[in-house]
Amino acid sequence: MARSRSRGQAQGWLFLAPALLFVALFVIAPLGQLAATSMTDRSLLGGGRFIGFANYVKIWHDSGFWRALLFTVKYTLVLTPILMGLGFALALLVSDNTPLKRLTRTIVFLPVVIGLSSSSLLWFWLFDERVGLFNRLLVDLHVIREPMVWFVSADLAFWAVVIAITWKVVGFGMVLFVSGIQAIHSDILEAALVDGAGYWARVRLIILPLCRRVLLLTTLVSAIGSMLAFDQFYIMTSGGPRGQTFTAVYSIYQSSFVSFRLGYGAALSIVLMLIILVLSAVQIALTARGAEP
Amino acid sequence: MTAAVVATGARALPARRKRLAPSALLASAACVGVIAVMGAPLALSFLASIKTPADASAIPPHYLPQALSADNYFKVIGYEAGLATYVANSGLVALMTIVACIALAAPAGYGLARFDMRGKEVAFLLLLAPIMIPYQALLTPLYLDFAKVGLVNTRVGLAIVHTILQLPFSIYLMRNSFEAIPREIEEAAMLDGCSSLSRLIHIFLPLALPAIVTVALFAFINSWNEFLAALIFMNRESSFTVPILLVSVQIGHHGAVDWGALQASIMIAILPCLAVYLALQRYYISGLLSGGVK
Amino acid sequence: MFTRKTWAVLAAALIGSTALSGVASADTATMWVRASGTNAAAHLVDLWNATHPDKIELTTIPDNQMVTKLATGVQAREVPDLVSFDLIYMPDFMKAGFLVDLTADLKADPNYASVAQAYKDIATYEGKIYGAGFTPDVSILVWNKDLFKKAGLDPEKPPRTIGEIHEDAKKVRALGGDVYGFYFSGACPGCNIFTSSPMMVAAGSKILPANGNDDALTGEGVKDVLEAFKAMWNEGLIPKNAQADNGANFTSEFMTGKIGVQGTGGFLLSELKKNAPNLDFGVTFLPGAKEGQASSFVGGDVVAIPAGSKHLDLAKKFIAWELTDEAQLEGLAKNNILPSRPALADNKYFAADPRVVTTAKALGIGYVPWVYHFADMVNSDSSPWINMFQRAIFDGDVDGAIAEARQKMKEIAGE
Repeated sequence: MARSRSRGQAQGWLFLAPALLFVALFVIAPLGQLAATSMTDRSLLGGGRFIGFANYVKIWHDSGFWRALLFTVKYTLVLTPILMGLGFALALLVSDNTPLKRLTRTIVFLPVVIGLSSSSLLWFWLFDERVGLFNRLLVDLHVIREPMVWFVSADLAFWAVVIAITWKVVGFGMVLFVSGIQAIHSDILEAALVDGAGYWARVRLIILPLCRRVLLLTTLVSAIGSMLAFDQFYIMTSGGPRGQTFTAVYSIYQSSFVSFRLGYGAALSIVLMLIILVLSAVQIALTARGAEP
Repeated sequence: MTAAVVATGARALPARRKRLAPSALLASAACVGVIAVMGAPLALSFLASIKTPADASAIPPHYLPQALSADNYFKVIGYEAGLATYVANSGLVALMTIVACIALAAPAGYGLARFDMRGKEVAFLLLLAPIMIPYQALLTPLYLDFAKVGLVNTRVGLAIVHTILQLPFSIYLMRNSFEAIPREIEEAAMLDGCSSLSRLIHIFLPLALPAIVTVALFAFINSWNEFLAALIFMNRESSFTVPILLVSVQIGHHGAVDWGALQASIMIAILPCLAVYLALQRYYISGLLSGGVK
Repeated sequence: MFTRKTWAVLAAALIGSTALSGVASADTATMWVRASGTNAAAHLVDLWNATHPDKIELTTIPDNQMVTKLATGVQAREVPDLVSFDLIYMPDFMKAGFLVDLTADLKADPNYASVAQAYKDIATYEGKIYGAGFTPDVSILVWNKDLFKKAGLDPEKPPRTIGEIHEDAKKVRALGGDVYGFYFSGACPGCNIFTSSPMMVAAGSKILPANGNDDALTGEGVKDVLEAFKAMWNEGLIPKNAQADNGANFTSEFMTGKIGVQGTGGFLLSELKKNAPNLDFGVTFLPGAKEGQASSFVGGDVVAIPAGSKHLDLAKKFIAWELTDEAQLEGLAKNNILPSRPALADNKYFAADPRVVTTAKALGIGYVPWVYHFADMVNSDSSPWINMFQRAIFDGDVDGAIAEARQKMKEIAGE
């Protein structure tokens, strides 16, 4: 028994080996170099000497980065519930397999398969105050009197991005929730039906609790994705107006490639990674405890 | 859960038919509304792409083209090295990314799902960790490393970078769908004396086909659309990929935008993704399902 | 010991190989060019390729990524043989040792002597020359003659001072509706260093500090311009989308024919001719505070050779060629692009349109700041430069905005 287990162990590691090797070579190793660079004052244009933790000390006093991080957290906190709520609502709407609902699923999922830059450009156009049709539509519907300049205020720009991203990724969560709902055995639901539970009671008491695992996964993936947001802001707001929509990754990009401070940008990356790691761990721990019977 | 179940099995909320008529109608109306809202941006962009360049930047804009024109597409198609070059590069890189993702993720997922090793969880977390890294920051060290071994300006090099981005999701999906396969099937094969490798190839992979297709699809979509690494790792117009073309073709002096070319670029970029998605939809969704729920 | 036969074989091999390389001499040099300059560069490269056995292969790099690409490329020894990039990065690249010293070649080249002074300045570091003007771009003031006529202004008399821009804009705006007097891209740092800073310079200001001890934003010109813009904004002479325009509408706004006056670049001429052929517009120098003051920002691309170029001779030959009359006239002027030698402004291709001649002459009076960290001070999305515009014009705090920008620029320059 013990022998077969150890043989199983060896075989298991053998199957894992290629992927582990790949990650070690192409993720861990460059990550090590990144950490090393973060201890230097290296410029994008070359050079660089060892300066210990000076970059990290500087980050502590870098109000620009913390403001960007705070903005990213706000973005994550606003976007994630919208994605979860809307995704779940859509899933409830389309979980049966009628042709119309299947078509709806297909269309809602469609934006998930196009690129983030394509969709950001698309919405950048729709929101444009001169040639954008979203504005034209709002005017025609008498929601607004004349085209709005969305990217003139940090709040409007923020919501413009939230709208665009919701359109782009809400289908992902929806599909996962549909899967959760469809995986619930119909006898459970029928038993509830016999007990006289109404539709919303069934949703609240059975479907929602049984979708908890999907909820955790979707929330985690979407939250990490939001914490690393870059393309959508780069394309739609350029961090404006006046740098109020810089995200954490955007400020890393600015430091490394616009201001040429590669060493400092490396340190920012390491800090951001640690923050995301801690937040993810906290989220997993919290949800895992809540999920226990 | 298999593709067949999702595609055909109507396993929804049992409905009380008699009282449901008005709410079913409401649900249908809601579906139509959702379709309109979600479909409109792409439809409008398509309509704008077949406007004349002047009409595409008209103020105020029109919903429908005033006249049909393919000029926007001609501009994109005829840009620099020609669209075919960029498409070929993107396609080859995406293909290699797909192969690499499956080749790495399928065994890894199998190992994680079916073997009981000490430290397995740590390995799993390690393999997932790359999704927490701002990959923009990894590009510089990677580029300098690749330059030393001659991987810069090669499609293989770029495919490796794209694989890095896509591997965690692929492994997660493969592990979960392998876990969802009943133990009994595997035990029967064990009694028949199949080795673990042949069990993977002959039993698990066919059963996990939807997940494999999903891995391939997401690898394709993300590789096809990736911009920054493609630009940094490739050095010649003849080795550039589609996203680089799209960014270059619509931007003029000081960021001035050619709106018509922008629409045509968007359409060209998403067309393959849409085609692949619609063609393989059945697998795709159920692959996500099997990977997601468990 | 080598036998006679060995020597013969060796010699034959040597001759053979040189002969071979002589026959197959069609060497190919690679060249990177940023997207903004790719149209102009392609005309020159096509002409070269049509007239030379050795070829140049062009690769377009999106503007924002050019610096990253060149910097990482040089460090990894993965560089093209030639590179054409925004001249403003010359100081950073020269200091970092990224470029090949061309002093001996260019000093001896009679054509180089007549290249616009701004190009010579920006490509010189510690007495050595590292590049030459390639595809110039220069800022100018355009006005819409039809709107001037309608507003009761003399369509042939452009504004000569910043104050006159304001007055003319007021009259044009009085036409009402969606006709506006003036336009500038309020959230676009590059657009404003290009079109607004020359007015400040013409009015006697210096914009950027060369180092931490140097002063930034000196003189009254900065304030004059910002005050005028602020007044025009407050009076509603500028469309309100200007505040958020990060450059996307930099050229298209004037093209609609509903803007009276705007600062723009020479490249707009050919675009207007192509996309808005019926628009009647004039071109003049960007003015200062008093009549007679004028300036412009010399932009566009320089051509240089990155350290590590594998076809050094060919690259040098190309640079010498692009400065000749043939390349400047048949490659650039013929295609409505400015030559980098201002003396060639009066040529047969430009003769038909005095507006192009005016633009070409603006090169001769233009300035370009020789500074490090230009991206940080000006071009980045939250630079002190663009923050100054936003705070001064849209928040109305001109003095506070200038003071803040001064301090931030000095900090950056001191790094």
